[in-house]
Amino acid sequence: MDRNAALSRSRLYAGIRRYFTGKGYLEVETPTLSPDLIPEATIDNFGTWFVNEFATSREMYMIPSPEIFIKKLLADGSGSVFEISKCFRNCEQLGQVHNPEFSMLEYYTVGFDEKDSIALTQDMIRATALEGCPQSVLADFEVMTVHDAVQRYAGIDIDLLQNPRDLRKAAEDLGLPVPSPEPWDDTFNRIFINFVETGIPKDHPVCLTDYPKQIECLAVAQGNYRRRWELYINGIEIANCYLEETDPDIAADYYRTEYRKLVELRSGNGKTIPDTDESFCDVLARLPKCSGVAIGLDRLLMVETGAKDIDDVLLFPFSRML
Amino acid sequence: MIKAGQIDKGTALLIKGQPFICVEREFVNPGKGSAFVRLKLKSPSTGQVLQETIKSQDSVEDINVEMVDYQYMYNDGENFHMMNVDSYDQIEVPMANFEGYELLMKDGETYRCTVYNDEILDIQIPSKVVYLVAEAEEAIKGDTVQGATKFVTTETGLRVRVPIFIKQGEKIRVNTETREYLERVNG
Repeated sequence: MDRNAALSRSRLYAGIRRYFTGKGYLEVETPTLSPDLIPEATIDNFGTWFVNEFATSREMYMIPSPEIFIKKLLADGSGSVFEISKCFRNCEQLGQVHNPEFSMLEYYTVGFDEKDSIALTQDMIRATALEGCPQSVLADFEVMTVHDAVQRYAGIDIDLLQNPRDLRKAAEDLGLPVPSPEPWDDTFNRIFINFVETGIPKDHPVCLTDYPKQIECLAVAQGNYRRRWELYINGIEIANCYLEETDPDIAADYYRTEYRKLVELRSGNGKTIPDTDESFCDVLARLPKCSGVAIGLDRLLMVETGAKDIDDVLLFPFSRML
Repeated sequence: MIKAGQIDKGTALLIKGQPFICVEREFVNPGKGSAFVRLKLKSPSTGQVLQETIKSQDSVEDINVEMVDYQYMYNDGENFHMMNVDSYDQIEVPMANFEGYELLMKDGETYRCTVYNDEILDIQIPSKVVYLVAEAEEAIKGDTVQGATKFVTTETGLRVRVPIFIKQGEKIRVNTETREYLERVNG
């Protein structure tokens, strides 16, 4: 048994619980097994069956994030909450920074927008840091918009490249082969992964804000962008934050287009196509103004302890159980 | 054609008509979006290195390679001399394309090779190999600090950091990827 790995995790979780309960957040526990999921085309799911010989059997799904349940609590007036939850993502590779089963910290702050969540996250990481945590984790966050990051590291202005043809041309000029046709967000991700992810500094945390609106999700859109951010530490994506969408019509549109995409991507290849429940959009309408952050705890442990592979912070890495 | 997501270390690909071997592969996932793979590819004939990050769903041209067992005979400082164990045909493989392999391959040992158009694209060295300690420094007397180490040189010329109890003439198991000592082998 890797006693140090167990100790580090135990201490970090104790610190996180102390931090949030001290600030008046309610710790909640929500299911990891759900009858429906929020559709996310690029996150593959684990499906299983609830079987009862006296009742109707039905397919159930392991949650890729506790978001769906936490938002129901917020809509019911829970106030600010946090949860440390197991999450499951199928078809992920093993090792490096991925394990199909992983631990997520989610915290939602009522009354906050995504900018407020940046300061909270910085403070929380510092307040709960493990002994010996490197400066690359504790240093001030550098906050940069995705637009400026792409301009800085790839030398292009995405405001001027809003249609797929123009963006493809820019990617090809940067030496990236792009199949035709390709949706705008896929081409954007090619540029982002090749130039931005590899270019951003690693000696301090970097918070990239305002992602292109073409990358569909339940964060509020504003102009060409969405009000969300992602935090990178040591070049590893650690956290994701939204200003949460509360418009039921926009959410319903998202549900329909994302589900169509999901079915298209997973039909005929044996991948799980989860049920979705559009009535969730009415839950969102009752959501107070709030901002939610999701932090990958295994990855946070990696950067705090200097582990090079996620397997080093897990007592039973998936790859070694197979 | 294969999907980029199927590429692994050692997969042979044809890029602009030239064979390349994948030497490093890393999966990358943007927060929201399709999965990507970051590849480091090396041309065994020219030594050219390419770095590519492509979508896991992108198609790439793979090549039909043969896996052939070759016996390593010796090197002349420029080429490895290898013999096909079935046909006894001998070929020369430029050492520059397999940097440091002379420290890992043992004379007379057979290695599985990836062959394309009569050219060796890749030589597979097992991840754990037993070597003979050809030279060992004397441990400093009285140095009983736990975890004390010293260097030894194997019969292939590889320098390895080992615990001080390892002596000349003994055998040790080495991780050939990290070139680190794993354990002493008895007998």
